[in-house]
Amino acid sequence: MKERLTIALSKGTLLEPTIDLFRQIGLPTEGLSADSRNMVFTYDNPEVTYIMCRPTDVPTYVEQGAADLGLVGKDIIVEQGKDVFELVDLKYGYCRFVVAVPGERQGIALKDLNYKRAATKFPVVAEQFFRSQGLQVEIIKLHGNIELAPIMGLSDMIVDIVSTGRTLRENNLVELVKIMDSTTRLIGNRVSYRTKHELIQPMVETIQDYMKGGMLSDN
Amino acid sequence: MKKREIPKGLRDFLPEEVKARRNMENKASRLFNSYGYQEVATPTFEYLEVIESGAGHHIREDLFLFMDRDGGIVSLRPEMTVSLARLAATHLRDRRTPQRLYYMANMFRQVQPQKAQYREFWQLGVELLGASGVWSDAEVITVAANSLLELGLKDFKISLNQIDIFNGLLEQSNLADDEQELIRYFVESKDLVDLSNLLEKLPMDDQLKESIALLPVLHGGLEVLKRIPAAEKNRKTAEAIDDLIKVYEALQVFGINEHIVVDMGVLRNLDYYTGIVFEGYSPDLGYGLLGGGRYDNLLGHFGYDCPATGFALGMDRLALVLRKQPGKKEELRYIVGGTDLSKMVVEADRLRAQGFITELDVEGCSREELKQRLANYHAEQEYNLIFID
Repeated sequence: MKERLTIALSKGTLLEPTIDLFRQIGLPTEGLSADSRNMVFTYDNPEVTYIMCRPTDVPTYVEQGAADLGLVGKDIIVEQGKDVFELVDLKYGYCRFVVAVPGERQGIALKDLNYKRAATKFPVVAEQFFRSQGLQVEIIKLHGNIELAPIMGLSDMIVDIVSTGRTLRENNLVELVKIMDSTTRLIGNRVSYRTKHELIQPMVETIQDYMKGGMLSDN
Repeated sequence: MKKREIPKGLRDFLPEEVKARRNMENKASRLFNSYGYQEVATPTFEYLEVIESGAGHHIREDLFLFMDRDGGIVSLRPEMTVSLARLAATHLRDRRTPQRLYYMANMFRQVQPQKAQYREFWQLGVELLGASGVWSDAEVITVAANSLLELGLKDFKISLNQIDIFNGLLEQSNLADDEQELIRYFVESKDLVDLSNLLEKLPMDDQLKESIALLPVLHGGLEVLKRIPAAEKNRKTAEAIDDLIKVYEALQVFGINEHIVVDMGVLRNLDYYTGIVFEGYSPDLGYGLLGGGRYDNLLGHFGYDCPATGFALGMDRLALVLRKQPGKKEELRYIVGGTDLSKMVVEADRLRAQGFITELDVEGCSREELKQRLANYHAEQEYNLIFID
């Protein structure tokens, strides 16, 4: 059996707290930084390899076994619905899925959004939510700057992730309903979890113990 | 312009790929036959009612469905076990039991195509019908392990579980049906985070909570069975543990225990399986290679109450793993060329009768031309040239 663990890391805002976490639990972090242009970091003691991925690509690397483990937001996991083990809630990178509407419609009832249009980067989450509420909503998939859609009359509302809510306020949008909370998760490949169990399980337990100690802040 | 395209998720198979698959089929059928299993075949499509009454309604979104002229809804088969259960219930119920059956066939599912996941894929598998008891479970698992060995895989593990260990604990919780459903969902989808969040909120005995949260990650030898805190007080769970221990011990006798791992996390298709379940993995592939278990209620859906156990192995996935292992060199081939056709035919037939693959030079090339060609072929295939003037 192969003895090296490959871990897919999310580039961007999750990277700093991930490096912090690794340092705290004794995983190597030398040379690992947001500024580095390297995509692969290899260490010999313990034998781990980190690969730098766009957050939305992390579940794909893990599902297909190109990485054994990955660290990625719950928002991306639920949107993609990949077949991976979700092992530990790492608590950082908090955000929440919300339905937001233009300020002048503040306080509108959810049922009045039936047959309206919602712009989002997360069509699966949006569709599932509206269906579960018995609503039929037209989903418009966009790739960024979702806030622009209601301003330009492309949609009546948006479904997006927010952390502080500042972007919403700046674009005169108000949160109508929270769909779900999201934090960073440690995920694992179904097979690696079994074939490299003796490497993965102790790491999972270390992280779980560490999380119970609650030493990381929510930021 | 679709003239040069094929539908998404399907594949053409080139000679070496078909050869690899046939090779697997030949070796596997020799093995299955030696254990007394007999091959059966069923139609490529079945009525939707048949598929759904066996495999449940959740499978519908994966099916290729179409109508026949009489307005019946039919589905390309997504797997074989349900079809075999229907076949056995309608045609084999008067024969002696146990019945040992095997199949090798293509299956169809409308899944997102990606590595190791195709819309048409090949499986081989066995079903042992009419036998209950741990020895029959152990035999099927042994045949599964020996198939992998026979097909050339050396490094693999088979994870073993008995799902009543989990079911017993869940029943003991006295939770409402929808709460139990949610726990099953999180356990099956391996969402350990939402599972532990949910358990925290539910009104349950702490020891029971701890046991349910622990099950998906328990992995190792028989000793892990001692780590389930609530097991002793629960009859169903205790019996299931006993069952699992007996199967494990039988597998030691069958001589394949070095490949067996007890893994309480193998908890898929909880509606379908009724006892021992197992999955096989290679460290070289991020997807499972085979899966199976005991399904004592399935044949009952077709009016034939009969215990059953079996497994299915994905040939496409195994081929991906085997390709990474160093292969054997192609066998020696002959090419017979010349100018006198009758002598050439006699020589070619003589070689074929000795078991050599022999090609006739149907283009009538000269000796020099043939030598030149063979030099170019040499990288992929070694030829012996026989030239008859």
